[in-house]
Amino acid sequence: MEHHYTVRLEPLGKQIRVQAGTPLKDVLFPYGVEFPCGGKGLCGGCRVKVLQGSVSLDDEHKRALKKLGLKDPWRLACRSSVIADVTLEIGQFDTFILADSSPFHFHPRPGYGIAFDVGTTTLVAQLVSLESGEVVAVETDVNPQARYGGDVISRIEYAVLQQGADELTRLIREKFAAMTGRLLRKTGGTPPEKILIAGNTVMHHFFCGRDLTPMASYPFETPHGDACRFTAEELGLPADHTEILFLPVLGSFVGGDILAGIVATGLDESEDPVILVDLGTNGEIVVGNRDRILCASTAAGPAFEGTNIHMGMRATTGAISSVALENGEIRIHAIGNEKARGICGSGLIDAIAVFLEKGEIDAGGRITGDKERLPLTQEVFLTQKDVRELQLAKSAIASGLHILMDKLGYSPQDISNVYVSGAFGTFINLTNTARIGLLDFPEEKIIKMGNTALLGTKMLLFEDGERVDRILRKTAHLSLESNPRFQDIFADNMMFQVED
Amino acid sequence: MEDILEKLTIAVKRGKADKNSPYPPDMKGQDGADELTAEALKMGFTPDEVLQQALVKGMHLIGEDFSAGRAFVPEMLMAAKAMKAAMKHIEPFFRSGSVKQKGTVILGTVQGDLHDIGKNLLGMMVEGAGWKVVDLGADTPFEKFKGALEEHPGALVGMSALLTTTMVNMKGITEKIKAMNPDTIVMVGGAPLSQDFCDQIGADFYSPDPQGATEFLDGLVQSS
Repeated sequence: MEHHYTVRLEPLGKQIRVQAGTPLKDVLFPYGVEFPCGGKGLCGGCRVKVLQGSVSLDDEHKRALKKLGLKDPWRLACRSSVIADVTLEIGQFDTFILADSSPFHFHPRPGYGIAFDVGTTTLVAQLVSLESGEVVAVETDVNPQARYGGDVISRIEYAVLQQGADELTRLIREKFAAMTGRLLRKTGGTPPEKILIAGNTVMHHFFCGRDLTPMASYPFETPHGDACRFTAEELGLPADHTEILFLPVLGSFVGGDILAGIVATGLDESEDPVILVDLGTNGEIVVGNRDRILCASTAAGPAFEGTNIHMGMRATTGAISSVALENGEIRIHAIGNEKARGICGSGLIDAIAVFLEKGEIDAGGRITGDKERLPLTQEVFLTQKDVRELQLAKSAIASGLHILMDKLGYSPQDISNVYVSGAFGTFINLTNTARIGLLDFPEEKIIKMGNTALLGTKMLLFEDGERVDRILRKTAHLSLESNPRFQDIFADNMMFQVED
Repeated sequence: MEDILEKLTIAVKRGKADKNSPYPPDMKGQDGADELTAEALKMGFTPDEVLQQALVKGMHLIGEDFSAGRAFVPEMLMAAKAMKAAMKHIEPFFRSGSVKQKGTVILGTVQGDLHDIGKNLLGMMVEGAGWKVVDLGADTPFEKFKGALEEHPGALVGMSALLTTTMVNMKGITEKIKAMNPDTIVMVGGAPLSQDFCDQIGADFYSPDPQGATEFLDGLVQSS
């Protein structure tokens, strides 16, 4: 007699099969959706947009919507239950979370482990059966520190210049305890063997309560980057005898999340030289093989996340996520098949490639023909400054790779694989990424990896500490700006290749 | 032949350093700033005429394009290279005193910061506007500014920062410079800065782009 329906979450593209009548609250909670007023229908914080299908709507729900001034297609998740197949966009999800589900090889051992990825924006944790390697439960949430700034520099500023370090440490540890606590309820009372935590250098320092002053100014080198061990008690967890470890920093801003990425991609065991690129604000890059590894962080800035772009936005409903040229005409795709109201990073890369193709942007990045705007739809367009922002971001990454490869004596032909990690990397069009000179490698060499920090941390649950030590021994951090030719390389890579 | 100064102006603006330089592709094989400056001097133009009517003009044009978004960092750097190639011929006259520069500007990226491309672009523009530039590089503490000010009395100071965590260091340095001599003019710039920040730390001038700074500097010369 049981009916099942499918709930589709945009823009995550997640599909969840649930029983008829399941409260939406129960469906969304595991995906990090919060219910700020506790599900009383008062605050509207859990509002969802019904893109297709419907959810339950009783009189009480209608009154609550009216009070909050919310109209169709908005519903309150805390007042809704599943009555049909439905596609939803979650209002508070202007960020979305990559929870990794890639297969990997492992040696079974008894008990449970938890892999925890502390991102600047999002938090993801997986409870893993060490026997089967299966992910038993997932918790995702938004980093509560985000209210003190979206990027690491503003958090450092708050910690160092406004004495907010203790507050930021408290916030992240409390959220960690809450998420871990929920995962532990799924083990049937068995305390986990291991909890491994990965994050960039700044997240490491906040979590571990280390002084961030060294990361506020040149030379941006920290003496406190070692792995940090905790007892369950220290972090407010009921479980005891659990080994809890925050992975060590590789150097400067490059942290344990990239160390985990090295594990996830097998870069440290590869005979051929391999590249790992994380296309975020800090744009971390790693080049190397089993003998020697160099890493660096680049000031790529937030252009790929839609920030500093005139009509830029995150990859949510209504964002142009791809652009193509068909018979000379521009064709766009907006997320959720809705009317386009802005452009996200993947769309920006495509748009630039298309305008280069059409000759509307020249090799120097200038908009040709004295135009001020490059229209994509009637409402959405690029400005000259948007092109400049993209040039800075793509050159930061390309120059970083150039300098690291040069230092190791590699040319692009020597590189066997280029692994791209991170949410944004999953959606990029590889032809266009090469076209604009962001990742100028043959498409077949580029592999989109998703959340390598989480995957690598999960893999490390099945290993002893030796692999981490081996990686640390052969990895060096390079400060790109200290290269005497940095300015020339950076300027060269801002240019586009234009065929005559 | 005014024509040669016009050609030199274009060579500087387009970033054509010398005849062998492959950039820009459409000027391949043509004389660059190097050859044109030598020729102009040989033809009897004074170093000051070459400087003011060609080099300053060329840099001003590229600065305008930069402000308007028509040119970007690579074009600015190429223009600066062309200007430097021309300056080689003019510099001996600075030393002999037959050509006067407008004054001295001391530049440094502030202590704690190593992002210096913005400061370098400003330096090229200021030099191209006819000023002597003393570049102290990146991660510059007060002591270095102090030393340079003692060596060049009456000079102006320009400071840059790219990070919110390092721009705060401008405050202490500005205060110490003003304590040495309240009349020393302090200019500040960099992505996270604003006019408000400039006012708060007691600096004299802020501009979001290098063109604004050279115009401010030229205003000082005209009003004095």
